[in-house]
Amino acid sequence: MRDAGTCGTLDSVRARQPDRCGYAVRSGVRLYYEVFGDGPTTIVLLPPWSIVYSRIWKLQVPYFARHARVVVYDPRGNGRSDRPGNPSAYDDGELVADAVAVLDAVGVEDAVVVGLSVGARVLLALVAEHPERVSGAVFVGAHLLLTDRPNPLEATFEQERESYEDWGRWNAHSWRRDLAGFAEFFFGQAFPEPHSTRLVEEGTSWALETDAETLVATGSPRRRVLSPAEATSFAAKVRCPALVLHGDADRITPLSDGVALARALGAPLEVVTGGGHCVNARHPVWFNARVRRFVDEVSARARP
Amino acid sequence: MRAREPDLVGETDRDGVPIHYEVFGSGQTTLLMMGTFPVVDGHQWKAQVPYLARHFRVVTVDPRGNGRSGRPAGPAAYSDDVNAADALAVLHASGTDSAFLVALCSGIKWSLLVAERAPGRVRGIVAIAPGVHPLAPHPDPIQPVDHPDWAGDWEGWVAYHSGVLLPEPHSSKAYDDLVGWSLQTDLATITARTHAPLRPTEEQEAADLVRRLDLPMLVIHGTEDRCQPLERGRRLAELTGARFVVVEGGGHLPHARHPVLVNTKIKEFVHMTTVATSATATAAATATANAPVAVEGGAPWLFARDRKRRALWVCSPIGLGHVLRDLAIAHSLRERVPDLQIEWLAQSPVSDVVRAHGEIVHPASAELASESAHWESEAERHELHAFHALRRMDEILCANYMLFDDVVRETSYDLWVGDEAWDVDHFLHENPERKTAPYAFLTDVVGFLPVDAEHDLREVELTTDYNAEMIEHRERFPYVRDRSLFIGDLAELPDASLGRGLPTVRGWTERWFSTVPYVVPFDPSAYRRPAALRRELGYGTGYPLYVAAVGGTAVGRDLLELTAEAFALVRADEPDARLVMVTGPRIDPDELPDVEGMDKRGYVDGLFAHLAAADAAIVQGGLSTTMELVAARRPFVYFPLAHHWEQQHFVAHRLDHYGAGHRMDYRTTSPRDLAEAMRTARQSRPSYRPIRRGGADRAADQLASVLTGAR
Repeated sequence: MRDAGTCGTLDSVRARQPDRCGYAVRSGVRLYYEVFGDGPTTIVLLPPWSIVYSRIWKLQVPYFARHARVVVYDPRGNGRSDRPGNPSAYDDGELVADAVAVLDAVGVEDAVVVGLSVGARVLLALVAEHPERVSGAVFVGAHLLLTDRPNPLEATFEQERESYEDWGRWNAHSWRRDLAGFAEFFFGQAFPEPHSTRLVEEGTSWALETDAETLVATGSPRRRVLSPAEATSFAAKVRCPALVLHGDADRITPLSDGVALARALGAPLEVVTGGGHCVNARHPVWFNARVRRFVDEVSARARP
Repeated sequence: MRAREPDLVGETDRDGVPIHYEVFGSGQTTLLMMGTFPVVDGHQWKAQVPYLARHFRVVTVDPRGNGRSGRPAGPAAYSDDVNAADALAVLHASGTDSAFLVALCSGIKWSLLVAERAPGRVRGIVAIAPGVHPLAPHPDPIQPVDHPDWAGDWEGWVAYHSGVLLPEPHSSKAYDDLVGWSLQTDLATITARTHAPLRPTEEQEAADLVRRLDLPMLVIHGTEDRCQPLERGRRLAELTGARFVVVEGGGHLPHARHPVLVNTKIKEFVHMTTVATSATATAAATATANAPVAVEGGAPWLFARDRKRRALWVCSPIGLGHVLRDLAIAHSLRERVPDLQIEWLAQSPVSDVVRAHGEIVHPASAELASESAHWESEAERHELHAFHALRRMDEILCANYMLFDDVVRETSYDLWVGDEAWDVDHFLHENPERKTAPYAFLTDVVGFLPVDAEHDLREVELTTDYNAEMIEHRERFPYVRDRSLFIGDLAELPDASLGRGLPTVRGWTERWFSTVPYVVPFDPSAYRRPAALRRELGYGTGYPLYVAAVGGTAVGRDLLELTAEAFALVRADEPDARLVMVTGPRIDPDELPDVEGMDKRGYVDGLFAHLAAADAAIVQGGLSTTMELVAARRPFVYFPLAHHWEQQHFVAHRLDHYGAGHRMDYRTTSPRDLAEAMRTARQSRPSYRPIRRGGADRAADQLASVLTGAR
């Protein structure tokens, strides 16, 4: 674990340093958060899967912080947050409770909340169960199912093999043997766009901030995730303005999942043609402008 | 002509006073464009309506005291409360449950009073130069109509009042409009409104009302507003938490003088305030679970490296000449940039021609307000005051610019080309921040020259003002155009002054344009053997063949009638003579007389082949047709339209440069004169100055260099 004495990550140069940082503590697990700016609206950027941490939002934070208060935090399992080793510590319910704990610790009553990938699943549960905390919701490359679809990777996650190729690398033993190799493969899939080498390298380096055992816990089929039936019933409960953003070349979560989510929410869907899983990182200018417009619309509605 | 006609016109009776309203478009959200101090009617919103109606349902009102609404007597009939009740009645009569109210000056008070009476019906207010008079109290700086200085001089006061409201330079058209609308009413009516009971009256009362209503609001205010102090707008914005848009240097009528800014701010405000909530949209989504999910904002955002090269080509519909040269340039451009997709934003007849050539017409083209119809409405008896017509086309130009603005924000282009796209060019210089792509402007005419400089001093003043504005635009914002191409050599331009204190046409063009040789849309050498051409086109040989053509609009009808009469006289001397009369796409051949030996046709593809096959041609003074005859080296007589600055000055000068054509004047030419000229022309052997070759290629080189970076 990293030194918790000062704000910021170990990255020596950041475009903008946090104005405030701290830990939210829940059931003994410490969650490191950072706060930037002091605009009238708060934007919370939820962490996705713990293979990365809050730096995944580095191309958003400086811009949004010029106009709003921005809150990011490291997920349990990576960055400066704690790394419990038990798969059940990574149940969706825990991740949702973490989000609430950070909002409470920072003193955020309500915010526009942006969820990427797994974070979008957390966001859906957050807005359904704590509607008063979310004034607007943006779902990016949402990793959540509204219909049952078997995931063959889950069944073989703990099976040991001689070699691990392509998605066969989605395997606990593979991670233990060669976490960097898996991470490189994974981020190659996450960033299918040409000229994405920097993103693949950086993603891989973030993955190496955690360790194989922790990552195995976060990916274990034994942890509990939102079922399609729960997700469908949560989506029907959403009352706040929502926006769904999805790349049509997303290899982690197909566009059809984003389409289904937009339909269930009755929310507009915007597609990035040629875009992969993390459109915020690979197409930041478009993403920042689009989300800012959404935030402005939500703020205009919420005007006292 | 208006840029957009109402879809529905209505009237509601208010205790015997008719209140006239108009409805445009059919969006889910309604905008009620409020009346104001009755020196204007609903037309004051002419630069807003066509654009806003693309996105919303728009209702305009003529306030009592002006337009087609009633003019009751006495101050009590014009109170703030009565005017608010009128607006509410229009909401009711037009079947509008709720609306955003867009208002100017006094109209803001009336909007507040509407909301007070019917809170649920007002969703928000756009307050332009808000005249909530008790806020930021301030003595009225404008002399009222019954001020002793005016001593009943109604027209004098109108001129004074209109001038005060429009302090911006180059506002002559907005000023003329305002004077015209003011003169639709009278001294008694304006006096009555001047003394009408106002409400609210106290500052606290006004502030309380505004706070209590708690409506989303957008405030737009000019710093040079002489009617409502800027402080008043600021105070209103503070009270409501409104977005406050300050127009630096703007007067009292920013919607008229700065329409692109105001239009886009209104649209943005309404969209922001109506963002769909998931809750309301869910039911609809469930009902149409299998329908494709709407992608917001039209096309998805496309990763830049995956985009094919696209150009948007805006082609003026005035005359068919531009389109043929544009097609020639486009053809050469594609040879240089093979993967370029060109989309044409153009209206009939240009769109028909480009479609016939297999080109892509952008679907938004169907929404362009018609320029051709406007020009035809401005013309009579072979006379078209082209400068005044262009100036009076302000509403259409603004509407069509706004359409362009939408199109280029929905799709990203690598290049915008505007061939005499006056709308695009003017408003990009007025709003340079809206330029988001390289832009090339092409023209064969630079600046306005008065057609009657000795007698029409107003025309001299106005053309000078327009030229000064053009010069300011270019000098201040040279980056707006990445290429400025003049079609022709500098010597083909008159060396006349652009106005007092301004440079000459030729000198200024030399400074600000690149020249390319005149673009002939065909290889002229293939059209220089009339006998062979005549056989090819099925005319045969051995008799005198005349061809008459008048371009793409209906303006040439009178000349065709004169030509028919003249041809009847020619036939008396040359009994085997034949005349092919090409009426163009907008004149029905059946409406012209029948003459023995005369063959009437509508549109003819490849018209220049027919002209080149003629022994002599009769045409009006349009540039393209006359220059095609120069290229084909055929004799011709031409009739510049009276009062048409371009045909009178620019085309005539260019034809003189080439030593071509016999110029005639429609007003002083009898059928006998024309018959004589036709026979003389037929017997002449032209020796014109040759046109430099390669115009289309040189123009394409310039455009291609923008796309490829080649130098």
